[in-house]
Amino acid sequence: MSDVMMDGFVGTHAPARAVVYNDNVVKKFTIATIFWAVVAFLVGVVLALELCWPELNLGFSFTNFGRLRPVHTSGAIFAFGGSALFATSFYIVQRTCRTRLFGGEAMANFIFWGYQFFIVMAALSYVMGYSQGQEYAEPEWHLDLFLTVIWVSYAVVYIGTVLKREEPHIYVSNWFYMAFILTIAVLHLVNNVAMPVSVFSAKSYSAYSGVQNALIQWWYGHNAVGFFLTAAFLGMMYYFIPKQAGRPVYSYRLSVVHFWSLVFMYIWAGPHHLHYTSLPDWAQTLGMVFSIVLWMPSWGGMINGLMTLSGAWDKLRTDPALRFTVTSVGFYGMSTFEGPVMSIRSVNSLSHYTDWTIGHVHSGALGWVAFVSFGALYYLVPNLWKRSGMYSTKLISWHYWVATMGIVLYITSLWVAGIMQGLMWRAYDQFGFLQYSFSESVNAVHPYYVIRMLGGLLFLTGALIMVYNMVMTVYSSTTERREV
Amino acid sequence: MFIRHETIEKNAILMLVLTLITISIGGIVEIIPNFTIETTIEPVKGVRPYSPLELMGRNIYIREGCYLCHSQQIRALKDEVERYGHYSLAAESQYDHPFQWGSKRIGPDLARVGGKYSNDWHYAHLIHPQALVPESLMPRYAFLAETPLETKILDKHLKANRTVGVPYTDEDIANAKKDLEAQANPEADTDFEATLKRYPKAIQVPGKPGEPTELDALVAYLQVLGTMADFSSVTPEQLNR
Amino acid sequence: MEEVSDIVVGIIMLILGGTGLFMASGALDNEIYIFGLSLAGFAAIFEFGLIRAYFDRKDAARHAGGGGHV
Repeated sequence: MSDVMMDGFVGTHAPARAVVYNDNVVKKFTIATIFWAVVAFLVGVVLALELCWPELNLGFSFTNFGRLRPVHTSGAIFAFGGSALFATSFYIVQRTCRTRLFGGEAMANFIFWGYQFFIVMAALSYVMGYSQGQEYAEPEWHLDLFLTVIWVSYAVVYIGTVLKREEPHIYVSNWFYMAFILTIAVLHLVNNVAMPVSVFSAKSYSAYSGVQNALIQWWYGHNAVGFFLTAAFLGMMYYFIPKQAGRPVYSYRLSVVHFWSLVFMYIWAGPHHLHYTSLPDWAQTLGMVFSIVLWMPSWGGMINGLMTLSGAWDKLRTDPALRFTVTSVGFYGMSTFEGPVMSIRSVNSLSHYTDWTIGHVHSGALGWVAFVSFGALYYLVPNLWKRSGMYSTKLISWHYWVATMGIVLYITSLWVAGIMQGLMWRAYDQFGFLQYSFSESVNAVHPYYVIRMLGGLLFLTGALIMVYNMVMTVYSSTTERREV
Repeated sequence: MFIRHETIEKNAILMLVLTLITISIGGIVEIIPNFTIETTIEPVKGVRPYSPLELMGRNIYIREGCYLCHSQQIRALKDEVERYGHYSLAAESQYDHPFQWGSKRIGPDLARVGGKYSNDWHYAHLIHPQALVPESLMPRYAFLAETPLETKILDKHLKANRTVGVPYTDEDIANAKKDLEAQANPEADTDFEATLKRYPKAIQVPGKPGEPTELDALVAYLQVLGTMADFSSVTPEQLNR
Repeated sequence: MEEVSDIVVGIIMLILGGTGLFMASGALDNEIYIFGLSLAGFAAIFEFGLIRAYFDRKDAARHAGGGGHV
């Protein structure tokens, strides 16, 4: 049974009849993904520059770090990551269910334009100074409600498509995407309950306060990582690695076990953001224990992804797009090992509040999320625009190496900076006094902030190389598909 | 297993229901007890709702994204307690909608910054941080000093807070504007004593008469941070949860 | 399918656009004013898009049907 299900999607079975897929919406989301990638990386570099030389904040309210930072985080997670997930989920669900998208053209367009409208309005509201003041949940109540309408439509279209599938089995990618859609809806609705000052005012007050607010926020925040940036991107991985490698998924049993255990355990991990705080100890301990155990299902996914390549490793030499996907799984494995380590209370006492956390986040965001998306984009663009292949394989290679260098600079500099901060804050001199003032620790990390900025700049450069390559793929005559 | 996985992966609705159950368990077990267990928030005297000026200042703190670089949560670790003061208690942020504990210290923790520096220091520092702390990475907030504080719907702000559980009385709401002006202007003839009775330990800031700025509000908020709790009223056993 | 989709989305957009106008009309701050007007504008443009797509589809169907004459 499992064999039929798994290799059904590497092209061994021809469809019984031709299905006209809705690829219009996939194309639009693909363009949006590329666009928002550049925007999010660019704002990231600007912020890194502001941290190197604070004069670059320029003194205007809307150019200050505090207002731009949510533009970067929302831009990377929801605009770039979100668009990539919409594009790939709509592409994958139609092909693995062998049916056209449920809900018609108008609904798909509504989801696309509505989501883009949400992103633009949210970014605008941040720079104008409207924010709920909770990380990754900054949009105010009216934008939250608007997003809810879009998300419900997305759920209807996605689940509707799965329900009318022509395949008996639901392919593993769709398990992850469905868990993502469902969980994000629950998180969004629970975390954003708030009382607006008036229906005509953007300002609202969260329904929760203090310690309960903190717990719910990090339950939300960590599962935004767990379901938005992990589960959904695993869905992406489960389709594109078998496709690019031309091999079925390594282990069906492993995918079942790691899906259910990942979904069960991630939800518990949030309190590891609140070690040694006023959150009751029992909750901190639960969060820590589950974070450590979570290492196993995370690596289950990594092993399943990497082992799918057994027998096809030679393709890494010839297909740089596959290199992106495989490296992303490597980074996924690394960050999901680093995460549990950092969730241990004694490690966390050093790492928390420092740049180590920022480095950890970026090894996941750049190494895993962005790289697996790039891999998918290099596969999708020639397919969607019906070209014979990418314009330049060499440029994909350049993108790969420039971006990888960028990540390495980024995460190593912030490891050093973070651990140094942690050690300086807790250092005592021979008389038993705190050895360093806070500002000394700020001074000490300056060189590493510059290196981090350069790392970000390299990553942005890589993305621009990709944009050029994509544009040429679509417009150059050299990639025209010859009729067979 | 009671059912084969094949059954689940052939039935989308069953799969969604099972996923929903799976993700609900952890959330319910961790979140619900934090609302119901009484010892989650310690019985500390002194913590009060923010005065109208402090509340407006807090909104500016949120608006400018201060929480992205400053934490307001001193962890129960020796060096933190020595650097910043007594570790934070859950009770101290019980009226914070939303909480502003933060997750990153690009600048120092602010949970107990109240009273550590003079008003003048705060004004000068917010207008040009590097003039006082050369190493600082903080942006300049001079524009706050030129922006008049918006107080048209002040009462609505207090009422919204009351809806979500902050114990503002009718009297507090009726006097909101008066309290705000009294706290922002030491030279006014308004009665700051009455304000202090409602909001003990509130710090007056030297605003321009009749025209408080956003900077005035922000300084009033910073000056009350961490000063409310009365530590002499609690025993270590009560804090030892 | 396409007709039902057009109608459902058309009604959602109508409600959203109306809400936008309503919010902008009573706005107490810039954010709600800009959001409300943008939402109304977005809804209006989207409705035009729906109408255009409808006629495009009709055109395509007619051309496909009369393909033999060309």
